[in-house]
Amino acid sequence: MTTVAKLEARGITKYFEHESHRLQALGGVNLKVESGDFVCLVGPSGCGKSTFLRIVAGLEKPDGGQILFDGRPVTETGPTRIMVFQEGALFPWLTVRDNVEFGLKVSGVPREKRAEISERYLDMMQLTKFAGSYTHQLSTGMKQRVAIARALVMDPDVLLMDEPFAALDAQTRDLLLVETQLIWARTKKTIMFVTHNVAEAAVLGTKVAVFSNRPSVVKREIPNDFPRPRVPDDKELIDFQHEILRELRPEVRKEDDVGAAAGAAAEETTDAGAASAGKEDDADAGEKDKKKEGRTQ
Amino acid sequence: MSLSAATASSSSSRKRSYAPHKIAFYIGLVAVWQLVAMSGVWPSNIFPSPYEVGEDLVYGALDGSLLHGFATSMWRLAVGLSISIAGGIALGIIMARREAFNQTVGSLVLGLQSIPSIAWVPLGILWFGLTDAGIIFVIAIGAVFAVTINTYTGVKNIQPHYIEAARNMGATGGRLITDVLIPAAFPYMISGFKQGWAFAWRGVIGAELLFSYLGLGYMLYVGRSLNDISQIIAVMLVIMATGLAVDAVLFKKLELKVMSRWGLR
Repeated sequence: MTTVAKLEARGITKYFEHESHRLQALGGVNLKVESGDFVCLVGPSGCGKSTFLRIVAGLEKPDGGQILFDGRPVTETGPTRIMVFQEGALFPWLTVRDNVEFGLKVSGVPREKRAEISERYLDMMQLTKFAGSYTHQLSTGMKQRVAIARALVMDPDVLLMDEPFAALDAQTRDLLLVETQLIWARTKKTIMFVTHNVAEAAVLGTKVAVFSNRPSVVKREIPNDFPRPRVPDDKELIDFQHEILRELRPEVRKEDDVGAAAGAAAEETTDAGAASAGKEDDADAGEKDKKKEGRTQ
Repeated sequence: MSLSAATASSSSSRKRSYAPHKIAFYIGLVAVWQLVAMSGVWPSNIFPSPYEVGEDLVYGALDGSLLHGFATSMWRLAVGLSISIAGGIALGIIMARREAFNQTVGSLVLGLQSIPSIAWVPLGILWFGLTDAGIIFVIAIGAVFAVTINTYTGVKNIQPHYIEAARNMGATGGRLITDVLIPAAFPYMISGFKQGWAFAWRGVIGAELLFSYLGLGYMLYVGRSLNDISQIIAVMLVIMATGLAVDAVLFKKLELKVMSRWGLR
């Protein structure tokens, strides 16, 4: 192997304590992401894809395996891999501009320089008019724009997006799907994007990584070279969506078998406060669960 | 200001104004007081009339003694409360972020918090003598744990995503505290400041009474020594007015500002 991937996950495993027993959320995830890739991670609800993203961000420690960044193992979180959270996680005590400048401020960038950089990204995300607003005055879509601007300002090598559009209405989401492609093309960022929405994955990704049910592994990586900009109702993309669904469906069905089960717990711990994400009911994680663990492998 | 208006939001008074009721109530109260005083049931040195109390207020204001007492008490309070706010924030944050500290020191804080400020007076006198430092000690220690516990609660209630996002963007150590933990916990901390202020205000008056060393509390003590009940009542009125003013002006404003910024109202 001569080239080093921008980001590589090697055998990432993660367990969760659920009531009295241990659940294996991640069963050795391997994934290579090249510089400039836009990788969408899809998988059944509760499969641990968000957890995986958090491990990549260094916000959680894996129980086994390694994350390599430019070939070097990383364990701590840091501005090379910036996360965009599902609910934005914007700071309500700061204005939009101060939110966007936050990362620059804590890394000691002087005020004038900060203003210059934030101006650029506020403009890119069409937020200039709202720069002085507080976040509670913004719509959900606007908040996600701020969250994306706040991440881009850090000029990260890798942008990690954890179901950022899950809480948006359809029109706003479609708009942001187009803009996200433009941003990606313009900034040449490497992006990892978690979603449970197959259409979203088809529109955005240069590659779709399908996660299996727990204990999750990357079941299949499907490259996607349809021309851009893509929109969700492109006819050619529908076939691609079906291909993803074909991989996904058996995994989702496994989950149905076990009555939705405790996988949701794994996901739930990662996005506390994100109750709206349509998570499966997190009940009855007993023996059924063990049965399934045998089956998935 | 009625009790409900003082505790609940101002929305109730916005719906219907009770100002005429209030004015009538206070005029009536003073009138009844004046009538009872004039009836001669009690001698006026035991039950002074509102007029006599008013006279004492005016004299006290004119000769500067009330202002001096007020300024002395407020100065001590400001120093003591500043110490408890600084200390309480520090303690509260460490308790919230270090579980071992919380289980050890935190459990002690809960216990100490139940001690009324006034119970620290003997220690204050023995350790610091009858000095400003002794009184400030009583104020600070009486208020610090309320600030601590509210700060702790505030930091514990911060959305984990805020802290994660901040760490992800490179905020660690001191930066994380000043730029995330304190502002994020601030709505809770205001409650701590408010409680701390209330304890401190009670503490300073009590301590001055017992230290008998200047201030409004000391003026109460002098009034008692001289059997000057109208002075005592005059000073009590000043204490009450100060308490109301600080609550209504300082804390109400601070609260409103933070609440509207966060979109909580």
